Amino acid sequence: MTFLIPLIPLLPLAGFAITGLLGREMGKQSHKVAVWAVVASWLVAMLVAFGALSHTLGFDAAGAGIKLWDWIPATGFHADMGFFVDPLTACLLIVVTTIGMLVHIYSIGYMAHDEGKWRFFAYLNLFMFSMLMLILADNFLLVFAGWELVGLCSYLLIGFWFPRRSAAEAAKKAFLVNRVGDMGFALGIMAIWTQLGTLNMQAVFAKFAGVPHEWQIAIALLILCGAIGKSAQFPLHVWLPDAMEGPTPVSALIHAATMVNAGVYLIARCNPIFGTVPEVMVIVAAIGIFTAIMAASIAFTQTDIKRVLAYSTLSQLGYMFASLGVGAWTAAIFHLMSHGFFKGLLFLGSGSVIHAVDGEQDMRKMGGLARKIPITYVTMLIGSVAIAGVPPLAGFFSKDEILGGAFKNGFLWVWAIGFVVAGMTAFYMFRLMGMTFWGQSRVDPEKEHPTHESPPTMTRPLILLAIPAIFLGLLIGFPPESGLLHQWLAPVFEATITASGRTEAAYSFFGIDGVLAIGTTALVAVAIVMAWRLFGVNMPALGLHAEPRPDRVRELSERQGLAELYRGSSHKWWFDDLNNLLFVVWGGKLAAAVFWFDRTVIDGTVNGIGTVTTGAGMRLRQVQTGRVQNYALGIALGLIAMAVGYILIAVR
Amino acid sequence: MNLPILSLITFTPLVGALAVAALPSRYPHLIRRTALAFSLLAWVMSLVLLAAYAFGPTGFQFVEAHNWIPTFGIRYKVGIDGLSILMVVLTTTLSWISILASFGPIKDRVKGYMISFLVLEVGMIGVFLALDLFLFYIYWEIVLVPMYLIIGIWGGSNRIYATMKFVLYTLVGSLLMLVAILATAFAYQVGHGGSWVGAFDFQLLQQFAASGQFGDAFQNLAFLALFLAFAIKVPMFPFHTWLPDAHTEAPTAGSVILAGVLLKLGAYGLIRFAVPLYPHAAHTFAGPIIVLSVIAIVYGAIVSIVQPDLKRLIAYSSVSHMGFVTLGIFVFSATALQGAILQMISHGLITGGLFLLVGVIYERTHDRTIAKMGGLAATMPVWATVFGFFILASAGLPGLSGFVGEFLVFVGSFGISPLIAVATIIVMVLAATYLLWMFQRVAFGTMSDFLKGLGGHLTDMTGTEAVTLLPLGFLIVVLGLFPSLVLDLLRAPAQAFLAAAGVAVGG
Repeated sequence: MTFLIPLIPLLPLAGFAITGLLGREMGKQSHKVAVWAVVASWLVAMLVAFGALSHTLGFDAAGAGIKLWDWIPATGFHADMGFFVDPLTACLLIVVTTIGMLVHIYSIGYMAHDEGKWRFFAYLNLFMFSMLMLILADNFLLVFAGWELVGLCSYLLIGFWFPRRSAAEAAKKAFLVNRVGDMGFALGIMAIWTQLGTLNMQAVFAKFAGVPHEWQIAIALLILCGAIGKSAQFPLHVWLPDAMEGPTPVSALIHAATMVNAGVYLIARCNPIFGTVPEVMVIVAAIGIFTAIMAASIAFTQTDIKRVLAYSTLSQLGYMFASLGVGAWTAAIFHLMSHGFFKGLLFLGSGSVIHAVDGEQDMRKMGGLARKIPITYVTMLIGSVAIAGVPPLAGFFSKDEILGGAFKNGFLWVWAIGFVVAGMTAFYMFRLMGMTFWGQSRVDPEKEHPTHESPPTMTRPLILLAIPAIFLGLLIGFPPESGLLHQWLAPVFEATITASGRTEAAYSFFGIDGVLAIGTTALVAVAIVMAWRLFGVNMPALGLHAEPRPDRVRELSERQGLAELYRGSSHKWWFDDLNNLLFVVWGGKLAAAVFWFDRTVIDGTVNGIGTVTTGAGMRLRQVQTGRVQNYALGIALGLIAMAVGYILIAVR
Repeated sequence: MNLPILSLITFTPLVGALAVAALPSRYPHLIRRTALAFSLLAWVMSLVLLAAYAFGPTGFQFVEAHNWIPTFGIRYKVGIDGLSILMVVLTTTLSWISILASFGPIKDRVKGYMISFLVLEVGMIGVFLALDLFLFYIYWEIVLVPMYLIIGIWGGSNRIYATMKFVLYTLVGSLLMLVAILATAFAYQVGHGGSWVGAFDFQLLQQFAASGQFGDAFQNLAFLALFLAFAIKVPMFPFHTWLPDAHTEAPTAGSVILAGVLLKLGAYGLIRFAVPLYPHAAHTFAGPIIVLSVIAIVYGAIVSIVQPDLKRLIAYSSVSHMGFVTLGIFVFSATALQGAILQMISHGLITGGLFLLVGVIYERTHDRTIAKMGGLAATMPVWATVFGFFILASAGLPGLSGFVGEFLVFVGSFGISPLIAVATIIVMVLAATYLLWMFQRVAFGTMSDFLKGLGGHLTDMTGTEAVTLLPLGFLIVVLGLFPSLVLDLLRAPAQAFLAAAGVAVGG
């Protein structure tokens, strides 16, 4: 059945071509082709994923591939156009096509009144194609192609409302910051080719142990560069919050559930490479866990509902990186999957909220929305509980595996920071819930009136995403560390784990694992209660009620010692200002200086020579006597001089 | 049957020029169409030639040779290999597109313009076909004259300054080239006991060079002279400042040909003549040339960022993109050389397209200042989409031709020395910066006051304008996905180049 694989990306590509060319004429129906293309792609992907996970339909444990054609067959270089599916790809396929499909359906309602709807659906289809290329590619250059193409789609979709200056700026920023990481990735690919003479991933992994160690380190670091850019890890995290300028379905699909996972996927995919360089693994863990706590601290004070979710995404991606770094490979993919579902849900939910209050994104102008948009409220509550890590929802299991992996693999510092971040996550999520749904309404009176629940095309995807947010953990992650997912991914990570010598002790609930899980859960419970007491809660069914206390929040934020932290958090630790100074201000000055050099020094020299020549010409004019004999003599003399000169040199 | 197809292709535009000359100037439409018809004919013939070309073997095919000035052994000798046939097809393609693109904008002295363009095409094709150094020089000079007229007569307000700069710069190069060619012929003649037979024949000269009979000191001087001539044309840093001026003042089609073909003449000369004839000198100077190329790539990109004028921006970006070509030539790697040649073609297609697209805007606004634009994506959506496509191609988006060429140069250079790739890779970010920032200011945001003032003139692309861009876009995609179409042709020339340069071919 491997011949089906190319259909998965090609269907959305066809949808893009048709919608892009004819969408304008299709009017209200312009979403049809795009949505059906993705539904069809989902069906094929499910079949392929089933085959790859159950080792049937022509797939075995190591996966199966299909080569389409020789893409770049140069002398001394070669890259194929080919696809490869193994259990890891299958996991990604499930996340990408399922969430992709639901976001397409959701967008029918969300974009119904936008006159650029056809364009939006064309871009979404192009994104699906690119993302699927990225995860299906069987060689590094094709991954890179998908990598750049998803960046392009992200650019197009962030800047979708291009007349808005902030949207255009954010789109450009996202593309450029990503390209900074991509430089590293590109160099890494060159290094791989130079060292191994192939870019086919399976071949590279098979031969990688033979590469000199310093090159192993260089290659791993360069790949890490690319992963940091795409997955928005420190210090390249600055583009993701701004990317929220795009329409909310885009934030859900690209900037939460799929594209930003590409970096995690890439490192997981390259586990045979990273497994050989423990020193780089430590860097991965450090970057991840630092991003996790830094982003969580910023999420504390943001007031834009989408930005809170964006910083939360950074923080959760940080968890995944930390997980990869400590060698808890499967846990990282587990969190990638569960986070994809509940963060997709939360973003789509926030879109529904924004839709309900007529485009308002500031949570200070929300409040009390629970009764008015009940489906959105309940599904977002599920998402919040899931991300906070309350058992038995999806986030609990995946986060628990990450923290447990860090602890048991000897990365106590990663565990400690991750433990704190777990509490912070629960706190800022219930701050969001409190400010949005509970307490008194602070909605502008003129926007108050039309507050209504979103249409079914929007609420149904929310409900469908809530199901995996609740059950995914129980389904593929239970019992812990030996659930379905571990069985699926064992062929992918087994060799690396064995080689690292970190074969974990079996999960023991009545041992260290149970202590860690209960400890984390207790912290999460405390954090949630703290959030309730500050920002309010109203769940009559559970007998919970508290009014928000904005005066207390203000008092805390001004208290000695906390005020500085508050300021840093609300200024996003000044990273944007630093980048602006370095690259926009100083970079701009450098470019202007180089241009000055070009005009004044280089072109000035040329013009100077011109002036001198003109002057000399004036003098030499007297030579022009108009007598042909003189000219002939001059030519003859010149030719003789030249010839003699060269013969002297030539004969020597 | 020995049809002299190369000569037929070369002189078809000349016949066209004569036909146009015979037409009365009061029928500009007829003149335009006649010129287009002949350029299309040359294009079709070049495609037939491509189909007839045998892919596998090294060496030249369809060779024609006739005595011309027997006293000095000068012959009319032409022939093609995989490199020259690609350049000829690029030339004929861009030529008819340029002529079609001139239908609207050129309203004065149409006859002279079309004659100039057709003669220009003769010269360009001739340069790529010539296997006799003297013939090559003649064609090289033929190219200069019509270009001088096209910029000088149909150009912008500052055209006199720009043409003088262009002509003087290139003339300096041409003279150096003539000296180098004559000296080489002299040396050959001296080496053959005073016989001039074959003294200008490229293949015989190369055999002579391969047997190591040009002395090192002689090679250094001759190489430098020839290199300078070609480097000015490419143009390499620091000989590039004529390019922005010439581009800014040239009419749209002039810019298309200038960027699309004329710059390639220099690169072609380096690959065909400068390195194979003086391999020892080429190795001696390779280091500094690589450094200049790396500077050109980064420097051109940095200067592009702050350009206020659309055409100047694209001109400086050409300096950067052509840096990849010279880099790919002088690292002496088969991979990088194939990338360099692919980049020559790709740059011709992409930059040609960009100049056409700027021409579309100039036709409507009579301005090219970036700061005066804004919001064009809303008023001219088709134009903005196509412009966006070419911009992404120029930024090296994978799946399009620019990526393959640049990546092959990168990976080939990395294999020689990772430092070169590391020093150059920053261009990935710089190129995206100048291109996307420009696109943002032109297409995004709300409509500028300047454009509002023009109101009704801003119609979207016309059918003719679309026809000029469609083949370029098509080729950019096809070569991005199936670069083997070009790479297969280049395998033999790359091997021949490295053999001539005395480098063992790996992989």
